[in-house]
Amino acid sequence: MNRSWDSLETFENFLDSGGIVEPVDEMPTEYRQAVFDFIEMHANSELMGGLTERDWIPRAPGLRHKMSVIAKTQDEIGHAHLLYMVAADLQIKTRQEMMRDLFAGKSKFHNVFHYRAKTWGDQVAIAFLVDAAALVSQQAVFKNCSYGPYKRILKRIIAEEGFHLRFGEESVLRIAEGTEIQRSMFQSSINDWWWPALQLFGPDSKPNDLLLRWHIKSERNEVLRDRWIQKFVPLLQGYGFTIPDPDLRWNKEENRWEIGPIDWEPLKRTLAMGGPDSARRISEASESWEKSSWVREALEKVAT
Amino acid sequence: MTSNNLTSIQDIHTAINTVNDPEYPGISIVDLGLLENIEINTADEVLVELIPTFSGCPALGVIAQDIEEVVRGVPGVKKVDVQWLNTPVWTVDRITAKAKEDLAENFTVAVQINERVECPRCKSMTDKKSHFGPSRCRSIHLCRNCREVIEVLRD
Repeated sequence: MNRSWDSLETFENFLDSGGIVEPVDEMPTEYRQAVFDFIEMHANSELMGGLTERDWIPRAPGLRHKMSVIAKTQDEIGHAHLLYMVAADLQIKTRQEMMRDLFAGKSKFHNVFHYRAKTWGDQVAIAFLVDAAALVSQQAVFKNCSYGPYKRILKRIIAEEGFHLRFGEESVLRIAEGTEIQRSMFQSSINDWWWPALQLFGPDSKPNDLLLRWHIKSERNEVLRDRWIQKFVPLLQGYGFTIPDPDLRWNKEENRWEIGPIDWEPLKRTLAMGGPDSARRISEASESWEKSSWVREALEKVAT
Repeated sequence: MTSNNLTSIQDIHTAINTVNDPEYPGISIVDLGLLENIEINTADEVLVELIPTFSGCPALGVIAQDIEEVVRGVPGVKKVDVQWLNTPVWTVDRITAKAKEDLAENFTVAVQINERVECPRCKSMTDKKSHFGPSRCRSIHLCRNCREVIEVLRD
């Protein structure tokens, strides 16, 4: 194959006509960088998410939940593994460099992993609200992503994330049908996680968003965010929980939920590694990487 | 099973065949070789015996639940019992040719038959990069030609 394009314009025409870029193609540098940054952040988020999940293995209430948490941890670390391989193949940073930057607080991961999950209710809120938000975004990327290897990996990731969401829905149902103590624990988790989950989609997309222009993403942030809001407001209310938004209202004319103004300051803080739990999360991830170095060394020896 | 039964093994088998692997939507667990045995007693109580790809597989609960649901939906069935067996051990040989094709085509997933693993996309040779993928039953390979990152189902 080894296709190349003589200008950014012909490349963009290729993308606009539904063209899929493969690793062997001579893609424009700016595109290569944009795809890399996007996949690196996704990989980092899967790794940080997997580590959060792992923290709950010893604390999950009951054997069935413990198995689910182990399964999700394994899946998410596995997703990170696949994504880091696709990212490293773009030859902008090696995998070691990506790990180094993550542990130095120099590269991004999703805002939700800058907060601490304090109770099992938080963990369930993450499995329900956050995993669904991530899935909504990933489905939109998958639908029309111009970078072939990422699109194909996303297909597998989405199938597994759908399986995770089933666990989230089951757990919420259990809590919703539980005791008053369980219900009030979950209400306080919703209060803490509603806005971070909603902010995961990011501020409204700018008109000149390169990720959209190059078909790395296929839908605008505000469209995805709204899709999630329209689904989760009635779901949570249906279970008898309240949404921590005093301005939330039902727009009868348009037949849709409208939320109050979004405060973007918390999101900005997480992007600057200044979230409530950023420092601890990063240092724990780094420590866990170092502690497991003997496993990687042993595997390399077996391989050679 | 006697001739007085309201249901047949075939009906149960057809129902189970509609249950897909939760991580590979569209690929039946029967084609992946997980179904080992179906029994029906004279009271139309059904026993379904399955073997896991590996005993710690996180999807066991969901698969059993899905099977119970579809078998319960077969007319005449009074009771369903789904059991996971420890033997025989699952191997990739149990995957049907059709499932292998679907895995390659729809999920870019290869199946490890011998040392040589071909890229599902371009049929070139691949190199194993990691013995473990997102699951114990999968390793990760990289294609030498098109550089695809490939999950490989293995024993």
